[in-house]
Amino acid sequence: MKGIICLIFLLYGFLLNSQNKELLYDFVDVPQALLLNPGANTNFKFHAGLPLLSQFHINGGLRGASLHDVFADDGRNINEKIEITLAQLSSKDYLTFTQQLEILTIGWRNKRNENIYYSAGIYQELDFIGYFPKDFAVLAYQGNQDFINQPFKLSNISGSGELLMTYHFGYSKKVSKNFTFGARAKLYSSMLHLRSARNSGTFTTVETPQGNNVYQHIISNADVIVRSSGISSLREIEAESTSAEIKEGINKLLGRALLGGNLGIGLDAGFTHMINDQLSITGSFNDLGLVYYTKDIETYSARGNYVFEGFETPIQFSGQDPENFLEELEEAVPLDTLRTNYLTMRPLKLNGSIKYSFNKYDDGTCYYCIAGESPPYQDAFGLQLFTQFRPKRPQYAASVFYYKRWFNFLRTKIAYTIDEYSLYNVGFLISSHIQKINFYISTNNILEYANLAKARGVSMQFGFNFIL
Amino acid sequence: MKLKKVCTFFYCIGFFACIVACVKDVDFDQIEDVVLTPVYEVDFIYSKFDTSQFIDSSIPPTVTLPEVVISDTLNYDLLGTDFVVENLEQVILSFEFRNTIEREFTFSFGFLNDSNQRIGSSYTVVASAGEGSNTDPVLTSEVILLDKSDITTLSAATKLITEIRVQNVNVSLSGVLELKSKGTYFITYEL
Repeated sequence: MKGIICLIFLLYGFLLNSQNKELLYDFVDVPQALLLNPGANTNFKFHAGLPLLSQFHINGGLRGASLHDVFADDGRNINEKIEITLAQLSSKDYLTFTQQLEILTIGWRNKRNENIYYSAGIYQELDFIGYFPKDFAVLAYQGNQDFINQPFKLSNISGSGELLMTYHFGYSKKVSKNFTFGARAKLYSSMLHLRSARNSGTFTTVETPQGNNVYQHIISNADVIVRSSGISSLREIEAESTSAEIKEGINKLLGRALLGGNLGIGLDAGFTHMINDQLSITGSFNDLGLVYYTKDIETYSARGNYVFEGFETPIQFSGQDPENFLEELEEAVPLDTLRTNYLTMRPLKLNGSIKYSFNKYDDGTCYYCIAGESPPYQDAFGLQLFTQFRPKRPQYAASVFYYKRWFNFLRTKIAYTIDEYSLYNVGFLISSHIQKINFYISTNNILEYANLAKARGVSMQFGFNFIL
Repeated sequence: MKLKKVCTFFYCIGFFACIVACVKDVDFDQIEDVVLTPVYEVDFIYSKFDTSQFIDSSIPPTVTLPEVVISDTLNYDLLGTDFVVENLEQVILSFEFRNTIEREFTFSFGFLNDSNQRIGSSYTVVASAGEGSNTDPVLTSEVILLDKSDITTLSAATKLITEIRVQNVNVSLSGVLELKSKGTYFITYEL
C-alpha cells in the first residue's frame, strides 16, 4: 500500500503528456520524422541509426496538478496539501507516461526510382495512461462520512498500459514535385497489457429515515472489467525470487518481444503537400491498428447489485440464515476470472501542420546546403496540431514553431505548445550534422527546467544517426 | 575551427540545460508525515418488531410472564483483518430505539471467537418504556465507544451475540420496538 501510494505520487509529479512529439514532427533533417509522418518530405539517400541509440524518447505528464502542489517545502502540513490537491483534481485528470527506445532503424532510396524512399526498423514502446480515480481516492482518504447520499462512481476506474515491440516497414514516394505520400506497415508484439475502461455503476451510502436502519449501502449496476495479458505468468516472480526465476521471466519477455507475444497489425500514413515553393501542409496518422490478445490472458469481471443495511438481530423476520456480510457480497457481486481472447485498438494519433519557409540562402556557393541539394530555406514558421485517442476521450495539443537552419551542420526548432497540461510549454530541438553523423536532442517545457517539480509535463528525445 | 567553436557552444547550451534542470523547493521526506484519516459510517444492527412477534398469543390474558429473553448469534468478522487491527483507532457505535411498548427493554451484545467463547466486554443499552400503541414512540439514544484496546481484543471475534430482555409481559401489551444502529469507524493509516 505504502509503495503504491509513493509510486502514484512520484509518477504524478515526476513522470512526465501524451505521445506528442511536436519538435520532431516535420523536422525533415532527422530520419525519425518519418516515424511521425511517412510522407515527410525528406532528402536522405540513406540513413541508419546507431543501434539502441538512434532514438530514446521519454514523455509524460499530469493534467491537474504538479509535484510541487503536494511536496512544496513551504511549512504547511502535507496532509493539508494533499486534501487541497485532491479537491482540485477531477476524474478527467490523468497521468500519462510513454517511453520509446529505437532498437534498429535503416532507410534507403530506391536505385531505380529516386522518388521512392524505404525505411524500416524496430522499436520498443511502453505506454501508460491512468485517469485519476477521484471518487475512490476521496473514499480512501476521507471516508464516506462527509459524502452520505453522494454516489462514488465506478466509471472513475479507467486506464491502460502496454509494453510492446513494433516492427515496421515504410514507403515514401514523391508523387509529384508538390506532393509526397507515405505509408508504414507495423507488426506489434505485445509483451504486457492491462486495460480497464468503460466501467459503470455506483457505490452510495444513502440515508434512510423510513428504512430498516440508518443507512443503506448500495452497490448499483456495478460492471467493472480489467483485461490483462502477459501478466499472470509473471505474477509469481516476487522480490524473493531466485535469479533463475527472474531470468526465466526476462526470457519470457524477450521471447514475446521477438514476435512471441500477442500480435497485432497497424498502419501509419501521411503526406506533404507543397502549396507553393514556400508554403506546405502536412498530415499523418499513426498506429491505426489493433492487437489480438490470445496468450496469457486474464480478464477480471465484477458485475451485480448489492444492498447492505446492517445485521438484523436479535429478532429476524426475513427467515434467512445468520447473515454473513462478506459471503453475501461475494455472491451478489461475484468476481469472475475469464480467459477469453480480446481485441484492443492501438491509441490512434493524428498530426497536421502548415509551414511557411523563407530566407533562402543562395549566393551560388551553397555554403549552407548539402552538396547536390538546392539551397534550402534557412527559416520557417508554422502551426501544428496533434490528437491522440485515449480510453475516455481524445487529448489535443496545438503548437506554433520556428525553424532555423544556422549552418549546414546546425539546425534548430523552437515550439510553443498549448495542451491539457500547460499553457506555457516551450520546447527546443537542436540537431547537428557533422560529416555524416547526426545527433539531435529535444526537450519541452524548458521554462520549467529551473524547477521540474512545478512542471505538468516533460518530454525529451535524443539520438544518433548516420545520414547520407 | 570557427564552426567547431559554434558547435561546441550549442552542445554546451544543451548539456547546461540538462544540468540546470532540477527539482527544488520540495521536500520528499514529507511522505513520512502522510496520514490517511478516513471516517466510515456503516450500518450495524437493526430490528423492528411488535408484541405479537415475541408474545405467544395463546397465553391467557391473566398470565404474566416474568421475563422474555430473545437471543441471536450471527457471523461477524469485520474486526479481524490485519488492516483493521493495525489501523482502526476507534469505533463509535450509535444506537437509537423507538419504543411504543409500555415496557423497558434491555438490549445487550457481545462477541464470540471461533470456539464460541466470549471475548471482550458485554455491552448493554436500556430502551425506555413506551406509552402504548398509537402514541409517539419514546426515543432512547446511546453511544458506545470501542477504543484501540477493545478493538485489539475483539480482533479474534468471529461472531456477534445479541440478546433482548423484557419483563412482566402479557398479551395485553401492544406497540412496536424499533432498533437502528450504525458504527463510525475512525481509521488512522500512516504511510
